[in-house]
Order: sequence, then structure tokens, then C-alpha cells
Amino acid sequence: MPHDSHDHTDPPSDLTLRVKALETALTRKGYVDPAAVDAVVDTFETKVGPRNGAAVVAKAWTDPDFKQRLLDDASAACAELGFSGQQGEQLKAVENTDDVHNIVVCTLCSCYPWPVLGLPPSWYKSHAYRSRAVIEPRAVLEEFGVSIPEDKEVRVWDSTAELRYLVLPERPDGTDDLSEDALAELVTRDSMIGTGVAKK
Amino acid sequence: MTNSVHDMGGMHGFGPIPREDNEPIFHEEWEGRVLGLMMTTGAHLKSNIDNTRSQSEMLPPATYLSLAYYERWFLRLERVCKQKGLVSERDLAALWAGHDIPETLEAEPIGPDDMRRIFAKGRSYTRQLDASPLFAVGDTVRAKNINPKGHTRLPRYARGKVGVVTAEHGGQIFPDTNATFSGEGPERLYTVRFRATDLWGSDANTKDTVCIDLWEPYLETIRADR
Repeated sequence: MPHDSHDHTDPPSDLTLRVKALETALTRKGYVDPAAVDAVVDTFETKVGPRNGAAVVAKAWTDPDFKQRLLDDASAACAELGFSGQQGEQLKAVENTDDVHNIVVCTLCSCYPWPVLGLPPSWYKSHAYRSRAVIEPRAVLEEFGVSIPEDKEVRVWDSTAELRYLVLPERPDGTDDLSEDALAELVTRDSMIGTGVAKK
Repeated sequence: MTNSVHDMGGMHGFGPIPREDNEPIFHEEWEGRVLGLMMTTGAHLKSNIDNTRSQSEMLPPATYLSLAYYERWFLRLERVCKQKGLVSERDLAALWAGHDIPETLEAEPIGPDDMRRIFAKGRSYTRQLDASPLFAVGDTVRAKNINPKGHTRLPRYARGKVGVVTAEHGGQIFPDTNATFSGEGPERLYTVRFRATDLWGSDANTKDTVCIDLWEPYLETIRADR
């Protein structure tokens, strides 16, 4: 398409091409080493993710001292297991009990505890979840198949600052004989956001 | 920008929550590249997390809502890279057209080992404060009714509402000033618990609560005569 200005070219609609162009330009100028970008992608694809959080929860279920440390200072407790870093500098663990069910949202953007849960699922970043979790958490939970009794508190945590929240779900009944590794298998990502409960 | 559509807590009309089974970490390869580019260019862009958020919020509301998540991140990154002179429109246009551009190496990029180290180390947002806290755990406070034109992390749905301080987190970088590079201006951070009925009215469950992390300048004491 002809343009009034010779200096302006419409960007391609193909984002693959457009992102590649930016990466190449930044690389040619010395601002980016593509291997460092690879390292970021690899970190999110293989190093951080909900299996980390599940290990934390399983340990808290089996080790009362660790659980106390987790509730007192979750960043330090998770670091004991090797989980720390960006978007987890100030972790806070919130415990589900007979009286309280916790659920985490970021209404303003998409804050999420990367070291223990990895990148958030798309639904966590969706306009629907961000808008509804604070005003109708019970309806949201019902959509996820979680029913909370009317007389039990649903406590929503809106991550507005640099604190990042990890829900410590309730340990399912009848799991006394399970090992820590087997328990970790019961801990779903959603149970650590609060939109789910641990598998039975 | 404060009163824009990114501040969506309590809005209606976005429908059911879109969930996807076995969701991949990245749906498209370029999404991972965008995240990686953001994280590796941070030092060269002299950006900070609050300015980055603020940049997203300045999108026209209709644009903000229409863009996919990583698309929004990418367009912001491309814009800022151009603004700060890291890349030029001319260079990008050449690459779009399938031409290469000369290597000029104007800077020293972060390598993969340093990137891993930076990621694992994290950043510190806490700062020492000399001033003593204005509020204590257990205090009843009101979130101020403020509508600044600039960036803020006080959600609209909490403004003017009364809650109880449940935790104090010391001094932390204040987003409202950090976003415009006018200083970290650390302020004390608190967690304030609001009753759902105070936020949303009598239709809400009387047991339910919402906890929000709020900086001291967002809060005021409840006057004794009210």
C-alpha cells in the first residue's frame, strides 16, 4: 500500500515474523544474546512450574516444622527446596482450613508466583477471571467444580503488590500412608491457586 | 493510567472463564521469545516493573481488551525499544521486508548464564524505612477515594471502603512514583482485609472477604466521629 510518508512501513500482521524481526534487530545491535532468550524459554518450559509448588505442599503436609516455616516465611521455606527467584521474592503461603478457603487473583494484571507455579494458565490472565474472582468468588469456584459451604469463608487474595500467594490446600482424607512423592501427585496447579482442591 | 479497563475487579460481562485442558506453556513459539526478550532487555531499557505495567495500562481500553496477552506485551516491548533508541523503524522495516541489517554491537548483551543467575536471584522490592508505621495489625482503615491520572495499585473497587489491617510488610518500592521514574519513594505496605459485604453490598456472602496489599499512602485512619 502506498503511504504519505516514505519512512513508515506497515508492520507485518504475522507476529512470528514481527517478533523475529525485533529479536534480530536487538541481536545485531548487541542488546540481546539469543541464547539468553533460549535460557528464559527453557526455564519456563522445564525448570519452574506447578510440580515445584506440589513438592512444597507435599512436604508441608508431612513435615509440621516445614509447614510452620512455610507459613512464617514462604520464600525462605521454598528456597530450602531450591525454588526461588523472580516473581517469588516475597512469597506468602495461605492455608486452607475447615473455616477458610483461599483463592488468589491479580485483578490489575497477571501477578503469579513463578518459582513455585511457573507461568499462569491463560484463564488466570483472562478478563473473566480477573473481573469476577473478587466479586463472585463462589460462582467462579462453582465453574471450577468447587463448592464451598455457605458458612465457610471464601478469602480472596488480590495480588496488588510484589507479594505472591501460594494456597496450601487441605490434605485429602485417607492419605496417611502415602509418601511425600505420592502426595505431591495429588497436588494440582489449581489447588495451589485456590480454584481447585487436591485430588483424592 | 489509573481508571482504565485493566482495573477490572468487580466488572460484569466478561462471561465464563475460558479454560483449556493440557494447556501448553506457550501456545506459539513467538510468545516465549517475547517473554525472553523482555527479560533480557530489561537492563538496556532501564525499565522497571511498575513502568512496564503502566505502559500496558496506557493502551486505549478497546485496544487493551482486543489484544491477546503476549501480543500486548510484544507491542509494548517493540514500542519501548523504539522509544529508547535500541532499534529503529528503518531497521525493523528492512527485516520485515526480508533484508538483513548490519551488525553494530552498540552494547553488551546479557548471556544465558547471567540470565539464569538474574532469574534465580530475583529482585528486592523491600526498602528500609525510618518513619514508624501509621497503622498496626488490627487497625480499621479506609482505602482513600483517590483517582490519580498516573499509575496506581489501589483497585477502584476498594476505594472509599473500610477494612482491617491483617499484616504489615515493611517498606516497599511505591509503584505510583516508580512507574514514572520519579523515584522508588518507598512506603510501608500492608495487607488489608475487606468484608465482601462492605465491597459489594448485602448480596455478598457475609463470611467472605477480600485481602488486598496496599501501601500506606492509599490508606487513612477512620475518624473517631464517623
